[in-house]
Amino acid sequence: MHFQHKGLSASEQYFCLSTAPICRGKGSVRRQSLLWEFEARPTILSRLYRVRIQYRYGGKPDVYVLEPDLVTLSNGRRLPHVYQQHPTRLCLFLPGVGEWLPYMPIDRTIVPWCYLWLFYFEDWLGTGEWRGGGVHPRENHGTNATNSFY
Amino acid sequence: MQTATNSTLQKQQLMGILEIVCQELELTETQYESAKSKYQAVGAWLSDGEHSIFHDSEIYPQGSFAIRTTVRPLGSDEHDLDLVCHVPKFSPHSQPSELKRLIGDRLRANGTYRDMLEEKPRCWRITYANEFHLDITPSTYNPICTKGGELVPDKRLREWKASNPRGYRIWFDDHAQLQPRFTFLEREIGKASQQVQALPGPSRLKGFLPRIVQLCKRHRDVWFYTREPELAPISIILTTLLAKSYAYCVGKSLYDNEFDLLVDVLRHSTDFVEVGFIDGIERYYVWNETTIHENFAEKWTDNPCLARSFFAWHQQAVADLSNLVFSGGLDQIRQSMSPMFGEQVVSKTFSVLTNSVTSHRANGTLAIGTGLGLTQMRPKTIPVRLNTFFGE
Repeated sequence: MHFQHKGLSASEQYFCLSTAPICRGKGSVRRQSLLWEFEARPTILSRLYRVRIQYRYGGKPDVYVLEPDLVTLSNGRRLPHVYQQHPTRLCLFLPGVGEWLPYMPIDRTIVPWCYLWLFYFEDWLGTGEWRGGGVHPRENHGTNATNSFY
Repeated sequence: MQTATNSTLQKQQLMGILEIVCQELELTETQYESAKSKYQAVGAWLSDGEHSIFHDSEIYPQGSFAIRTTVRPLGSDEHDLDLVCHVPKFSPHSQPSELKRLIGDRLRANGTYRDMLEEKPRCWRITYANEFHLDITPSTYNPICTKGGELVPDKRLREWKASNPRGYRIWFDDHAQLQPRFTFLEREIGKASQQVQALPGPSRLKGFLPRIVQLCKRHRDVWFYTREPELAPISIILTTLLAKSYAYCVGKSLYDNEFDLLVDVLRHSTDFVEVGFIDGIERYYVWNETTIHENFAEKWTDNPCLARSFFAWHQQAVADLSNLVFSGGLDQIRQSMSPMFGEQVVSKTFSVLTNSVTSHRANGTLAIGTGLGLTQMRPKTIPVRLNTFFGE
């Protein structure tokens, strides 16, 4: 059982996202839901990707890559480490082990992980091998995750 | 301004990738040291012999080994390392084949070398399997060269021809030491890049001229491999033309960045092939400036296909190199580089890059820099916390 923290409100998360230098973009916040869209270039030599983050207080942030179309880029191969192929929704952290909790600012966690995912994605496009590590849902994950990067 | 900076940073990062390509291609420092001690041992064995002719003989590296531009041959792990066995006591009026025979006899008298020895048309080869082989070419003094040149056997071992391996090395090193001048923007970014580089790893070439020689030699090897390898321009021609072009470019222009200089040096390299018409025949000259009467492009006149294939390759190399900046995405750059330098080397290069990001990630020193993307952690960057990718 993790320490229960009240967490940041959607407005607080929105404020963090809108002032962070690495995810300049636009969005909205209404009641306890936020939407944020930004452009990210995972490395200086990478493509520019348009990313959308959706978050409702009490839930988990959902991250979509809107452009370019990753399914088209992957040319028939199934994208690794996604919840959904199209529109591509990224799986950026292992749930239930405290990697991300609602008190953590999205711009300091989810956004950098998104850059990292996109970096390994371009590597995967070139090699066919996912070299970013991770866990697949059916595997016995948690503190003894065998396929975990860490 | 923002765009210019971005494009300069991108070009700088490309240079970093090209630097890794060169590191993957060349003799490693350990191999270099090992080769050095091995040829020194060969030298000691020769001069310790009973034959007085060898008493002040000397073995020293020539070619790419001497000027540090080695490139592993395609499809082999074994580097070709060229050495000169200079025997000044041997009379240039005697046959080159005689000197070669004397060296062979002495090498065969050694139990270790006997089994590793192979006779080649102009030299003796000692093979250290899977690492390198040493090609030992006999030489004697050149009584008519005022530049300290030597004489080496011609291909048929019947006559001597002028050469100056030691002089060439000094000539090349003098060119390599010339410093390019950069515009304000590159200087500022260059200064900043001491601390601010994009991806972890190198962000510029280590030794500009030797590196561009290595990249061009490799591009040539790959390009001619599937065409007509026997028409490939010889390394000494590429090296000489690039050195002359480098001196010309750094003398005439200011550059925005190293990448633009790289492309310009390659582009201008053909300007230094001299062409003349004599008796209705097109003749080509790439002079060795360190001796007299050594035209590296001598064969081009007899076989104009050699000249044509050189110019065709050159055009392709310039295009390939300049097009690298238009690739969007690391996977695209990888795809563009594979046919230039060979898939295996490019694959290794990108693994070096990925592993460097992965190890910074594991050490908690990976970060995101504004306008840079993934980079090494330093002030004003956002750290990438530990995470585990999940999902199918």
